[in-house]
Amino acid sequence: MGIISRGFRGRRQDGPPDRVPPGQYLTDDFPVLSAGPTPHTPLEEWTFSIQGFDSAPVSWTWQEFRALPSETITKDIHCVTKWSKLDTSWEGVSIDTLLEGVEHEAEYVVAFCDGGYTTNLPLEDVTDGKAWVAYGYDGEPLEPEHGGPARLLVPHLYFWKSAKWVRGLSLREEDEPGFWEQNGYHLRGDPWLEQRYWGD
Amino acid sequence: MARAAVLGRLAWLAAEVAGAKWETPRVRTLELNVPGWADHLAGQHLDVRLTAEDGYQAQRSYSIASAPGTTLALTVERLDDGEVSPYLVDEAREGDGFEVRGPIGGYFVWEPGDPTPVLPVGGGSGVVPLMAMARSRARVGGTAPMRLLYSSRSLEDVIYRDELEALPGDGFEVVQTLTREQPAGWSGYSRRIDPELLAEVAWPVADEPKVFVCGSTRFVDAAADGLVGLGYDPRWIRTERFGATG
Amino acid sequence: METSDLRLDGNAIGGLLNELFGAELTAAPCVCGGCGAREEIARLDVYVHAPGVVVRCRHCEDVMIQIVRGPRRTWIDLTGTARLELG
Repeated sequence: MGIISRGFRGRRQDGPPDRVPPGQYLTDDFPVLSAGPTPHTPLEEWTFSIQGFDSAPVSWTWQEFRALPSETITKDIHCVTKWSKLDTSWEGVSIDTLLEGVEHEAEYVVAFCDGGYTTNLPLEDVTDGKAWVAYGYDGEPLEPEHGGPARLLVPHLYFWKSAKWVRGLSLREEDEPGFWEQNGYHLRGDPWLEQRYWGD
Repeated sequence: MARAAVLGRLAWLAAEVAGAKWETPRVRTLELNVPGWADHLAGQHLDVRLTAEDGYQAQRSYSIASAPGTTLALTVERLDDGEVSPYLVDEAREGDGFEVRGPIGGYFVWEPGDPTPVLPVGGGSGVVPLMAMARSRARVGGTAPMRLLYSSRSLEDVIYRDELEALPGDGFEVVQTLTREQPAGWSGYSRRIDPELLAEVAWPVADEPKVFVCGSTRFVDAAADGLVGLGYDPRWIRTERFGATG
Repeated sequence: METSDLRLDGNAIGGLLNELFGAELTAAPCVCGGCGAREEIARLDVYVHAPGVVVRCRHCEDVMIQIVRGPRRTWIDLTGTARLELG
């Protein structure tokens, strides 16, 4: 432990323990994190697809995607870098809607994104009302720095799983570690169990 | 250019604030007493680590403002949503302690023995490591022609203003641009750095000058690209990009 | 906030690399495994506002180095770097 600096506290706020998982601090900001340059795919070229099962991939253009039934939800989000933000408001399409009619035996998915980012999730963590593809934040179109035009939203897991600039889901029978999971981050990432790194 | 020594693994050292001086309303210089500090080269930086009473730690990098061989000093700009800079700028006082690690950096360094004309280009607090270069040159009587191009928002934001007025001479010049607001009678530039401005200020390509650009990523990219556009070899241009948070 | 400000350069991880490798590495050239470009680490694109550090080739943007620091272990992925030169 280092030398204590008189009067230093940092930016942290504490919050209600039933809403803020262990090791997290509250923030009023919405920090922007990124592993690479912000992609800028024109909407006329954007598609979202579900792949990896026996029939041909299912795919939507931006217009088709925006015509799907959508929801507005309010959720708390938790980043593995220790900030948590409560009551964030999103608009998007439930993954359950996207998987309707897709016949498969997958138990895992890999989300793939513009710029090459990937993240893996158990299928049961993106179904039954737990996950969305979100294109609106706080009543406005999702900004590119926060993953717009659309990002995955899986608020019950650490936010690195809510992949920015998502372009589709690949259904898998095995769990295949994504960009961060390959190099130390936990395969599942439940903030209430503090599953940050391998072995947690 | 002399290569900075590979010093082996650096250790965290105890630093005590020995003095503080306001440079602008948002920028303060801290003089530090660091037992065991090995001297640095102009352009290098150090890491600062703060620890709160409950063990929480935060760490950031800051360029060294002082010339080698003089009292170690950092110049820090307060970033509004920063975590470490508000502490260093607004809270830290004489006698306070934290930890530092350094000196760091073997690429963005300049030594006054080098006779090549040099063009340091700084945006905002990017001027700090360049000031260490200017001070280093003045201290040992370096002869390399040095022309500092320094971009600030307004006169109030110019760091080291008095010293920059006093230093010129003996081959050292300062060219300033104020991008947002200029005082009456201002004779410097009044806009963001662009290729035309660089063409008027930069050393001729035939001099094969050494360039050091420091500031935000946007500033650094614009200046470096502008110089390459004038015919500068990218290998002559060394850059250091500051982050947006502190 | 300018998102371009999230992209720094290898100078920003000089202290981290010294801590991990015990040497000053910002002036060390390395070769991109994707496109073969050779640049000093100080000249590479570095992203630190992330769950880990990501170092990308400034020419092809491929990931050259990825660093994750856990409480007990540090993961350093160098698969995108074909060669690193010290000395």
